[in-house]
Amino acid sequence: MAFPSFCGGPWVQKKGKSYFKLSEWWLVFDEHYTSAGLKDPNVTTGVYNTFLYGEYGITNRFTGIVSSALFSRNYMNNLVSGTTGKTIVAGDAVNYLGDTDLGFKYQLSKKDAKVPMALSIVLGLPIGKSAAGDAMNLQTGDGEFNQIIQFDIGKGFTVFKKRQAYYALYGGFNNRSNGFSEEIRFGGEFGIEFFSKKLWVIARVNGIESMKNGATAETVTSTSIFANNSEYISYSVEVNQYFSNKIGLSVGLASALRGEIIAAAPSFSAGIFLDFTK
Amino acid sequence: MKSSFLFPRIVAVFSILLSSFFMSSCIKDDVVDDYVNPEIRITSITDSLAIDSTFQSSALYFNNVGEQVEVEVVWTSSNDSVANITNSGLIKGVGIGTCTIYSKYVNGEVEITDSFLIAVSVKVTVMVVTLEKSGTVATTSSYPVSGSYTLEVQGDDLLLTFNADYSADNSLPGLYIFLANNNSTTAGALEIGLVTVFNGVHSYLIPNTGINDYGFILYFCKPFNVKVGQGIIPPN
Repeated sequence: MAFPSFCGGPWVQKKGKSYFKLSEWWLVFDEHYTSAGLKDPNVTTGVYNTFLYGEYGITNRFTGIVSSALFSRNYMNNLVSGTTGKTIVAGDAVNYLGDTDLGFKYQLSKKDAKVPMALSIVLGLPIGKSAAGDAMNLQTGDGEFNQIIQFDIGKGFTVFKKRQAYYALYGGFNNRSNGFSEEIRFGGEFGIEFFSKKLWVIARVNGIESMKNGATAETVTSTSIFANNSEYISYSVEVNQYFSNKIGLSVGLASALRGEIIAAAPSFSAGIFLDFTK
Repeated sequence: MKSSFLFPRIVAVFSILLSSFFMSSCIKDDVVDDYVNPEIRITSITDSLAIDSTFQSSALYFNNVGEQVEVEVVWTSSNDSVANITNSGLIKGVGIGTCTIYSKYVNGEVEITDSFLIAVSVKVTVMVVTLEKSGTVATTSSYPVSGSYTLEVQGDDLLLTFNADYSADNSLPGLYIFLANNNSTTAGALEIGLVTVFNGVHSYLIPNTGINDYGFILYFCKPFNVKVGQGIIPPN
């Protein structure tokens, strides 16, 4: 059973097949999760990323993956006195490239295995700016080199009168540089198709647990979604609609169930994909 | 429908979406409730004075956002036969007794006053002026900050010392400490520095600062401009 590339899981591309997605992801937040997991206010901050995502089947078992933030905007609002109307702290913004992930997924299981498995290695290249703006508190990247190893397992099945569906689970480890804490990553997703596979609805749960073995505020002053020792468990829903065999739109919404040192607001995404896997 | 026909339309729709996203990503205003009660603060005080000797007093005015503003302060004595005071704040001991020295600023119908008691005698062996204050800091957020402190005069400088019971959260990026006269913002505040000690005794030397110049110790997450904790510096 094969699944489109917007589905996660252990499925890889056939040799020479490819999938591309150009999308916008954005997040505007005026609250964040504190170290105690509670919500505290902050100056309204926005992050807008334009991503290019691509997969290419290098062999039938080996797929190359790239996810690059072609454009990233990070801004903070002005702080204005409610008494005098004067600007207390001027807002600021940075527009630059974001970070890029280069990944390779290898299918561990045999072709047509009932429970396919895959192993991935992802290298997070710190191309973005980790400190920008007058106060050096804006970022388009985390400034560190991620090395992620991830194991994926999944299974396709049919429900509701032969409607195709799948579930997938993953677990991974992110080895980080520059004093950032290592991370354990985990998650799962469930997807189901409608209208003869023209419409796919996918629900995901993702989590990151920091090992908190890196630098603390005593040595690191980074902020935003790139702050060290961030943790979260998030849920998301993504809808992918084919308009032809190869072209479609993708929209998504994600929010956190819990978090530490991370934005407390829903993120949104919208994109166009080109599917050359059929 | 052919994909060659669909693709330009989808790209057009996507472009419109992108444009609207970027328009919504403009910098806007976050309004802060930063009102504080205007205040006159006498910054140079003595509790005693000898007859025929003088003491130069001074006062600062802080407006409704805690900014120091130069204004014309009116000095008065409750009993000129004990001590009198000039318009510039120079007190002179005249006769044995006790009186109150007032510093006053009138802004329209609002009168703002500060005062202190002074005892005049034939001979003063020890003139007590404020050289030390103490208090506690506490969290105003979900990030732990707590502990006691002392603020001491050291010549023209101040020494802010936190005691052994001090602790602060070390997971918050960019935690800074300030002296301020508005406990809602860092506007007009004196930045002492980045917090790098999160437990136990430590101190900060604050140059060219008077012990009565500020009313609050603030802990602010500078990158997010959010107050994390505060301590009130007690008045004289």
